[in-house]
Amino acid sequence: MQVIDAYWGRRALDYVDAIEASKTSASVLSQFEKVIADLGFHAFIMAGVPAHGQSLQQTMLANGWPQEWFDMYAREQFHRCDPIPRHCLSTLNPFAWSEVPYDPVSDPQAHVVMTRAKDFRLNEGFCVPIHYDDAVGAVSLAGEDPNLAPDARGALHLISIFTHSRLRALARAAASGQNRRLSRIEAEVLSWAARGKTAWETARILGVSERNVRWHLEEAQRKLATKNKTSTVATALVNGEITI
Amino acid sequence: MPEIHVVRKDNRSLYEKYFDRYHRLRHDIYVKQRKWMALDRPDGREIDQFDTEDAVYLFCIDNGQLIGSMRAVPTLLPTLMSEIFPYLNLRGPIRRPDVYELSRVFVVPEWRGEHAGPRIDMLLLTAIMEYGISIGLTGFSIVLETWWLPRFEKCGWRARPLGVPHMMDGMSVLAVLVDCDDTTWKSQCTQIGLTRPTLTWRGLESVNRQALPDIFLHLPRVAQQAQ
Repeated sequence: MQVIDAYWGRRALDYVDAIEASKTSASVLSQFEKVIADLGFHAFIMAGVPAHGQSLQQTMLANGWPQEWFDMYAREQFHRCDPIPRHCLSTLNPFAWSEVPYDPVSDPQAHVVMTRAKDFRLNEGFCVPIHYDDAVGAVSLAGEDPNLAPDARGALHLISIFTHSRLRALARAAASGQNRRLSRIEAEVLSWAARGKTAWETARILGVSERNVRWHLEEAQRKLATKNKTSTVATALVNGEITI
Repeated sequence: MPEIHVVRKDNRSLYEKYFDRYHRLRHDIYVKQRKWMALDRPDGREIDQFDTEDAVYLFCIDNGQLIGSMRAVPTLLPTLMSEIFPYLNLRGPIRRPDVYELSRVFVVPEWRGEHAGPRIDMLLLTAIMEYGISIGLTGFSIVLETWWLPRFEKCGWRARPLGVPHMMDGMSVLAVLVDCDDTTWKSQCTQIGLTRPTLTWRGLESVNRQALPDIFLHLPRVAQQAQ
């Protein structure tokens, strides 16, 4: 076991204590931007890993990418070939962008994404996969020459998972104060669930992947603060967000 | 539904027949599957220095078969965190009568995921909270694989980090302190659909236990308004 200077560890712990006490997403995000800036990151995104046929916007928790980069990313549908979210599906541990394997020859699209990112000073990044039973999300940070020393990585890992978790909790609390809050696609997936269709069957009906359907169910459950598919369907029906 | 039994020194004799399988299961899961080779022993039974007579075990038993378990060790005695992973805790050692450390949490492969009844991992997490409230604990320290944390958040456990994640044998691990209180237990019961306590205290009738709060299953908010 190597002895690691605990400076960043303590910073990370202080940060987690501070955001646990914060009451708004805006306040959490401004503290987040400040602490990652001190580690050399100027951009971030927190989102679900989009399944086939799903847009990045549908899975977004927080978007701190440069506007132009995000517009290009969405317009060109880079999420379909970006090796970073793809790698999240196959690991439980955080990783640096530069550690993600792809072959520029057999996978030229992946190479395009990684190269274009550099136009926005997103030279290197750090990505933390977030795994739930039915869905995979990620917190991805990027900068010109960020600090990726072992102690910084541990701190970034801690900061990322607790920020993700805190934002979800705050979003859930905010959502419970509204009436209609499901997206059209989430309502559609729930309507099929209400008619007894499994995720696989719904995927076939809507022409999207099963993982995509499961993601929407998970998001609907989060928004309605329910505990499983049945209670999500029941709550959505009672709230008038779906009909049979 | 599988039963969760409290097993400790005062009633261990009633459960002695389970311990051989218990330690073999630990070997199967931690040495053979997870490849924690430091725990390897030639007799195929995984036992460590924290399996003392002060350790408390929850045994999840279905039809006489052990299908899952969890271990709790008093933090007044040596624990994984204090002896093996002290560098995971930057906030200072935890040695308190009201905090136990959880370890060796597992469910046998055939009982993982969805099946009839609550998920066994959720059942164990709910049961240990019930145990903690019953004997007056306020928290649990845990060294866990970091990727588990979002699941804790989802099931209502409030985990405060004690340090930063470290890579250990290719897996990120972290030390946390989890609140043990009525609110967490009630929220978990609601989530997995339990309306009463789950623990079996066979042979522990003389243990002084604190009262548990009532559990109510809540109707959806809008349904209540419609009534």
